[in-house]
Amino acid sequence: MVKVFVNGVEVEVDATSTILKAAEKAGVAIPTFCYHPRMDPAGSCRICAVELEDSKRVVMSCVTPVAEGMRILTESAKVADARKTNLELLLLHHPLDCPVCDCGGECPLQNMSFAYGASDSRFESHRNDEVEDLKSDVLVFNSNRCILCGKCVRICDEVQDVHAIGFINRGFDTVIGPPLGKKLDCEFCGDCLEVCPTGAITDKFVRYQYRPWQLEKTKTTCTYCASGCQMNVETEKEAIIRVTSSEGEGPNEGSICAIGRFGFSHVQSTERLDKPYARSFSRLVPTEWDSVIPEIAERIRKIAGTGPDRIATLVSPRITLEDAYLIQGFTRRVLRSNFIDSGARYGFMNAAFPIARATGTLRPMVDHQDLLKAKVILVIGADPTAESNITGLFLKRAIRKEKARMYYVGSESVSITARAKEHIRVLPGGEGLFAWVLSEEIAGEESSRHPEFLAKKEDLFKSFNVDPQAYTKLVQDLRESPTGVIITGRVFHRIQSASDAMESLLRMTNALGWVEKEGCGILPLPEVGNDLGVLMMGATHEWLPGLLDSQDPENKKKWEATWGEPLSYGKGGGLKEILEGIKSGAIKGLISFGENPLTHFSPNSEVREILSKLDLLVSVDLFQTSLSDQAHFLLPAASSYERSGHVVSVEGFVQALNPAMTYWGESLTDGEIVSRLAECMGVPFATRSTGEVSKEIFTLMPDLSPSTRNGDHFMGPTGNLILPTIVNQPPHKADRKTVMKRMASRAENWKSAITPIQPEIISGEGDFVFALNKSLFHSGKMTLLDPSLMKMESSAFVRINRQTAKKLKIKKNENVLIENSYGSCILPVELTSGVTENELQVPYHFDSPDLMGLFPGEINYSGTCSTVTMLRTRVTLKKIE
Amino acid sequence: MGIKKFLNTIMFGEIMSGLKLTFRHMFKKAVTLQYPHEKLTLPDGYRGFIVHRRYENEQERCVGCDLCEAICPAKAISVVGDIHPEFPERRYAKEYTLDFTRCIFCGFCVVACPVNALAMTKEYAHSSFTREGLIYSKEQLLSLGDKCEQDSIGYLKFKNMWEAENSGKEEGRYHFPPIPSVKSGG
Repeated sequence: MVKVFVNGVEVEVDATSTILKAAEKAGVAIPTFCYHPRMDPAGSCRICAVELEDSKRVVMSCVTPVAEGMRILTESAKVADARKTNLELLLLHHPLDCPVCDCGGECPLQNMSFAYGASDSRFESHRNDEVEDLKSDVLVFNSNRCILCGKCVRICDEVQDVHAIGFINRGFDTVIGPPLGKKLDCEFCGDCLEVCPTGAITDKFVRYQYRPWQLEKTKTTCTYCASGCQMNVETEKEAIIRVTSSEGEGPNEGSICAIGRFGFSHVQSTERLDKPYARSFSRLVPTEWDSVIPEIAERIRKIAGTGPDRIATLVSPRITLEDAYLIQGFTRRVLRSNFIDSGARYGFMNAAFPIARATGTLRPMVDHQDLLKAKVILVIGADPTAESNITGLFLKRAIRKEKARMYYVGSESVSITARAKEHIRVLPGGEGLFAWVLSEEIAGEESSRHPEFLAKKEDLFKSFNVDPQAYTKLVQDLRESPTGVIITGRVFHRIQSASDAMESLLRMTNALGWVEKEGCGILPLPEVGNDLGVLMMGATHEWLPGLLDSQDPENKKKWEATWGEPLSYGKGGGLKEILEGIKSGAIKGLISFGENPLTHFSPNSEVREILSKLDLLVSVDLFQTSLSDQAHFLLPAASSYERSGHVVSVEGFVQALNPAMTYWGESLTDGEIVSRLAECMGVPFATRSTGEVSKEIFTLMPDLSPSTRNGDHFMGPTGNLILPTIVNQPPHKADRKTVMKRMASRAENWKSAITPIQPEIISGEGDFVFALNKSLFHSGKMTLLDPSLMKMESSAFVRINRQTAKKLKIKKNENVLIENSYGSCILPVELTSGVTENELQVPYHFDSPDLMGLFPGEINYSGTCSTVTMLRTRVTLKKIE
Repeated sequence: MGIKKFLNTIMFGEIMSGLKLTFRHMFKKAVTLQYPHEKLTLPDGYRGFIVHRRYENEQERCVGCDLCEAICPAKAISVVGDIHPEFPERRYAKEYTLDFTRCIFCGFCVVACPVNALAMTKEYAHSSFTREGLIYSKEQLLSLGDKCEQDSIGYLKFKNMWEAENSGKEEGRYHFPPIPSVKSGG
């Protein structure tokens, strides 16, 4: 620690810190253009000049380290002179087109020119008058306005690790843009747009449509994935214009992915439902809430009156904690049914169930900060960048800056595999077996290993093409490294044996001693924004709120006491049991809150016929979906930009949603709809505001009180501090001590070897494995209606290995016929070296062609939690002549 | 009561002294005008109706920058900017509405305009039976501007805003990158 004086104020700072950091600590703001707290200093803009009192020298504060007894002046005449001259030089090229520049009004360069009065230059102006680069659909590069601070290039390199833009040419001709004058082709995260201190990079979607001072900012949480990004939704006259982030704020620290930053237009499209619809004579006709609610209530009363467990509810994992709590309460108390399930059943449940069984909590053991401390990171069947973008960013940072060793296990290459120490390729279907073999290798003693262990290991190397050397390296590294994290994702959660595989991984972490060690553990990536929260609130048949077993009379009693009424729901079940119940006629009604089961099943399956047997099908959604063709009632729901509430992030933060606009048309939140229904049915299920429901949740489950990271982060160039919004927040991670206790009892089952996991049998026939993956630019099916995201990725395509394509003489963008006995589809080709030779990868989001048509009609419910996982099928591939 | 006062009373002296002023004015030049048959000559700085101006090549000047909306103390102006349908690098006002029922004719918008697209004119006799009739669209403002081009030039000259644009000096001026088909960049 050294002592320095900033404008006479004594501060003590770390010996390695810079003058800028010291000034920040002293509460003195120094203007900067090129400085960015998350990146290495560049010292290129020369505006952060400060004077050293002793040596009378002007130095750049962002790159100069402090020294003992240093006396720093930040506002002396010499400093002002230096800054003014510097501005004059910057403005030599910079056009004075602020009135038409989208940055005008929030431009640090404009503010600085205003503060130092440097609009009159002593030098002769030299305007480049270059034409703007309008090639990209997302960003506009205006090289005239660029001051070459390099922030955009550095954030793309250091934070996003994408390297999409760079400096082109040298000297006066330097411009910034994508290489070789090509069209920008990147992850479109828009971080460069966010950090640009001038209007050199602007947003093309809302180009010239707004002025910053007209926009109203609302801080809210993104619900597309579970990263829990804090973002500012900026609206003008009730319309969302753009989404920005505040530097350093929230778990995302100011980064947002393409979906979060650009994917908001669909919520204000004309396709949105603005009125409730009721079916009359086989057509959906618009009606009023006042008539539709009593009608539904009457039909529910008729069905539910015949006994418990007659009506089922499905819940989208995008809804808030409050809505999930109300819906499960409505299902269990009013409908007297335990047939409740959420979108987590399509995969994430496979991770959540074994973890909750072993640890007693769904709070993660590790967070993103632990990723940075981990020495070894094992990623199995996940694409963190696409599934939980911020986890991906921290993973990249851990590898790049903290030198973590990352092992990637999976068949395909994703954006992070290039950074892996070892990419252990497992042919499709072998992931479960891999987890079992790895766990048995590490957890089992040589003498007490499962008798089939060696055979299975051999099978893994032979049939699934796993490199034995890389495998041995991984085993050794896991054993020896002091800290480690395992990240599992969508593909891993969706394999048929996923729950057993997760159990194997838990057994392995226990054997490695990671349970006791702070900063070690498993981080499963949820697929959708509030997967964790919806499960914590008991929107699943297994659990009551608080992850209490719903069939345990003790737990039932606890909630009976809280709610003040007896609970008489039956055994209930998940999606599998719901569909079986409808088929057998035991379930007569289904209320779906934003969930459309039809999109997750093959059209060959009889799900559509099963649903047509219902006496009551209510679909609550933002848009018309394939489910609404069958629904008796179609109710408009408010989007996540319109509602308030809380969502749980992948790290366990409980963060607030704030409404940026009023409800679209006559739409209501899911919670309000069930409250109205209950009220109409005369059940004491008092209609309450979301705030009151949150309060109830937080009093009943105090560990779920709001929490966030970087609520009080230094905000950057202008130096304004925002006050911490949450005080005394509960820990977001799982409590190690209770987890250790629970794990100890679960570990009894793991003493002897557990039964081996059979390799996945992939349905269909043919040489190729057709796999559905998640796109970087889409989230579910909802974003297909978003014009901005559709510009980034507009239609389905199939990714094929380059060598395979060469063999079959298929070129880029040519159409191929993909076929098996269940169906066929035609898709254009994109070549990649990222997939294995016999694998075809297709983003699952697009409706046409119908990709689910390639899957068998009979549904294999997998694992202990009967998940429905349509991930892979075998197909043949033909070139269309 | 004196004889003088008596005479004054019977001869209507007070009325005569009043009429004296009247008669004197009968031989002077009239100050009032026979409006609407005759009209006043207004000074160049007269703040009448606000209009939109064009470049010599008929291109509208307005770049839709919203600065007039920002400065308007009466909140009479609303601008919706967008990309120009013909030139993708150019900003223009897709919609521009000036509510003359709210306008207080302060002239701030003209000062704020970076491209001299706005000017005040000597037009004052625009009345309407409806409120909507006094809410002017961009097209109305442009056609009014075409009608009163000389007035608007006079106003800008009077306000010393003509010089800045036509002096040929680069410093302290807004500099827009050249736009195809518009010779004078602003």
